[in-house]
Amino acid sequence: MSATTPDQHAAVPAPQHQPYRTGLDTNVMGLVIFLISELALFGAFFMYYAYMRTIRAVPYPGTFDIPAEATSINTLILVLSSFTCEFALLWLVRRNHWGVFGWLFVTFALGAVFLGLQVHEYMIIGFTPQDTAVGSIFYALTGLHGLHVFVGIVLLALAMVRAARNKWSPEKHTGLLAISIYWHFVDIVWVILFTVVYCLPGVVG
Amino acid sequence: MTTALKPTLARCLWTTPLFAVIAALAVVIVRNVLGMDPVVQMSTLLTFAYIFGSIGFIVGIGGFDYWWKWIIGSDIDPNDHSQHGAYSWRDYFRFNTDHKVIGVQYLVFVFTMFLVGGMFAMIFRSELARQGSEQVLTNQQYNSALSQHGAIMIFVFMVPVFAGIGNYVIPLMIGAADMAFPRVNAISFWMLPIAGFIFLSSFVFGSFDAGWTAYPTLQDQSPFGQTLFQIGVIIAGSSSIATAVNFLVTIVAMRAPGMTLFRMPLLVWSNLATSALVVAATPFVAGAMFMAMFDREMGTNFFTTAGNGSALAYQHIFWFYSHPAVYIMVLPGFGIISEVISTHARKPIFGYRAVAFSSAGIAVLGFSVWAHHMFASGLESWLRVPIMISTLLIAVPTGIKIFSWLGTVWDGVVRMTTANLFALGFIVAFTVGGLSGVMLAVVPFDVSITNSYFVVAHFHYVLFGGSMLTIYAGLYHWYPKVTGRMYNEKLGRWHFWLTFAAMNATFFPMHYQGLEGMPRRVSDYAAEFAWSNTMISIASFVLGASTLIMFYNFIHSARHGKPAGNNPWGGLTLEWMLSSPPPVFNFPVTPRVIGGPYRFGEEGAKHAIIPEVEPAEVEKVGA
Repeated sequence: MSATTPDQHAAVPAPQHQPYRTGLDTNVMGLVIFLISELALFGAFFMYYAYMRTIRAVPYPGTFDIPAEATSINTLILVLSSFTCEFALLWLVRRNHWGVFGWLFVTFALGAVFLGLQVHEYMIIGFTPQDTAVGSIFYALTGLHGLHVFVGIVLLALAMVRAARNKWSPEKHTGLLAISIYWHFVDIVWVILFTVVYCLPGVVG
Repeated sequence: MTTALKPTLARCLWTTPLFAVIAALAVVIVRNVLGMDPVVQMSTLLTFAYIFGSIGFIVGIGGFDYWWKWIIGSDIDPNDHSQHGAYSWRDYFRFNTDHKVIGVQYLVFVFTMFLVGGMFAMIFRSELARQGSEQVLTNQQYNSALSQHGAIMIFVFMVPVFAGIGNYVIPLMIGAADMAFPRVNAISFWMLPIAGFIFLSSFVFGSFDAGWTAYPTLQDQSPFGQTLFQIGVIIAGSSSIATAVNFLVTIVAMRAPGMTLFRMPLLVWSNLATSALVVAATPFVAGAMFMAMFDREMGTNFFTTAGNGSALAYQHIFWFYSHPAVYIMVLPGFGIISEVISTHARKPIFGYRAVAFSSAGIAVLGFSVWAHHMFASGLESWLRVPIMISTLLIAVPTGIKIFSWLGTVWDGVVRMTTANLFALGFIVAFTVGGLSGVMLAVVPFDVSITNSYFVVAHFHYVLFGGSMLTIYAGLYHWYPKVTGRMYNEKLGRWHFWLTFAAMNATFFPMHYQGLEGMPRRVSDYAAEFAWSNTMISIASFVLGASTLIMFYNFIHSARHGKPAGNNPWGGLTLEWMLSSPPPVFNFPVTPRVIGGPYRFGEEGAKHAIIPEVEPAEVEKVGA
């Protein structure tokens, strides 16, 4: 592709960066709006779950014993990882890039453990996605969330690469901030999911 | 570096198959490890190959190059504009971050798809021209042509075409240098050719034939092409979500100084409302498509009766998107009409705030009416009346708009340019579509007329008489700005009158057919409909042919038209203050907005000024 040579660009005046009216960081704003649409995607699945469980009153396939211990520990792990993710930003303020790396790694590890425990739960839960509609939506909800955790830990791993090369600074770290906001989002969705899918069946029956 | 490694279409030629093959191999390996039988399941293999092939295409075109370099900590220059702007025709065929180039890319691509989708309509209209089944198409092919027509027109034409127009015009209108996220913008464009390719490539696998709504359990019986429909919709949906996020941030954060909310042109308002709708609603169609795809390819039981699933749930989720989608497909059109009518009638828009708020009102109300598509589907009966009332209510903000356009034209110095002809034609046709919509909202009427040609007539009046005419109006209005040359006005008028006459001749008799009980989506009909169907088919061919006049006009005028100058229409909004076509980086200096966008008739009134002096002195001028 030789259409755009550097010379042609030299002829064009440098673009004017105009002041933003709102003073908001456009990147963070874009991320938050994107996460609202992610929430709507989860909402579609939650609505289906609520519809099937209340209006249609479809029971879980077989007996669904809430794996209370395992899943509660898992919830704890994910909530904890939200804090460790925030610690990375605290260490960034101290300009300690290996500290940032370390906390990102802890967060990454907690996320990976969470995923591992989720897969383990799939193996012992006793029903498959093919067992009735509620089995399908159980796997779809937890699977969609698991996919988000997976994307999250990939992002954390990439953030670690940048941290190891000392590319984050207290002045410029929008990417790290974005990843941490995303990670908190994944955490919040899990808390909602845990409440609705794991805890409410015990109450509602 | 050779061309095959640089981010070009040439690189896509190997990244796309590479990703597809890796995904297919991974599927085989996983199935082998898990001991599934058979190990090579063709449909699963193809599903994954298509999804990852699509990602491979975006990688190939260069969508992730910048972020990849950034995330691994390589040296990158945030102010690197080497991908920005078009200096030769080749720059339109690569990953380009200039919103003006992307706008043109959008429009050229979606109008290609418009021709393809229109072709399918011609094909099945020729089947319907005479009574009797399987004359031109087999019944299977008839269903495929019908479904392709719907899917292409909605997902890769009507929804993205407004993103195309918005992309070109909105950053200019608000005085910005570009969109907020130029790279995301380019990615969301390049997703569309993928979606279009996926829809069309489904013919290799028996196409999809369950209509654009693809209700289960009907779609469970379709060939593998149906799964490709779902993948295509998910990709087109991702594209429109990304664009909407981009528009929202651009409009909220990147307006020029002085452009308060109520100094924004109405196209910007309506795009703001539309983008909010897209962000909140489009994920639902993705959810419905995912579930339906799992049902088909994984044997899950979301919508199957055998597994306690609910086919009705699909309709709820699907219409929770697809009704707002109707407004996604027409709200930006309302904005275009406000621009065109005000400029060509030389009058301020009548009731500016009412029009702006009615866009927001439609966006909010649009979420409360989805179940009116399901009155005849065994819906919970208590939902019927509330949904009927909210559906009737939504006619109010729409009516506000119609009356304020009429109020704008009233007593104006109306210039009958082609753009304005289309805008006025839109008001007439959309009112017809809106009135039949009010009729359909009434439960007893809907239950007796559902699934008949009356419904077809209604939504073609809304989508063709409504959205399509606004698109034409917008194209003729901004054509001089985009190309720098005037189109041929005489050919433009021919295009309008032929289109308008043929449109009414095509779709108006369908009201009568529907009231007489002719069902939609059937390739044959009773003898009493023979005469009217022949007439409709002839009119639809005229309608198709009339489009070609526009293509000839636009392609010919781009080379041979008279130079348009900066402001052929005497518009006041910011895009008319720039040269035609605008400079690569839009505004040499950030403009300052000093008044409303439609101050026609005020002596010496200006919407904005582009200062040629130091910013310090600009402060005084702006105050």
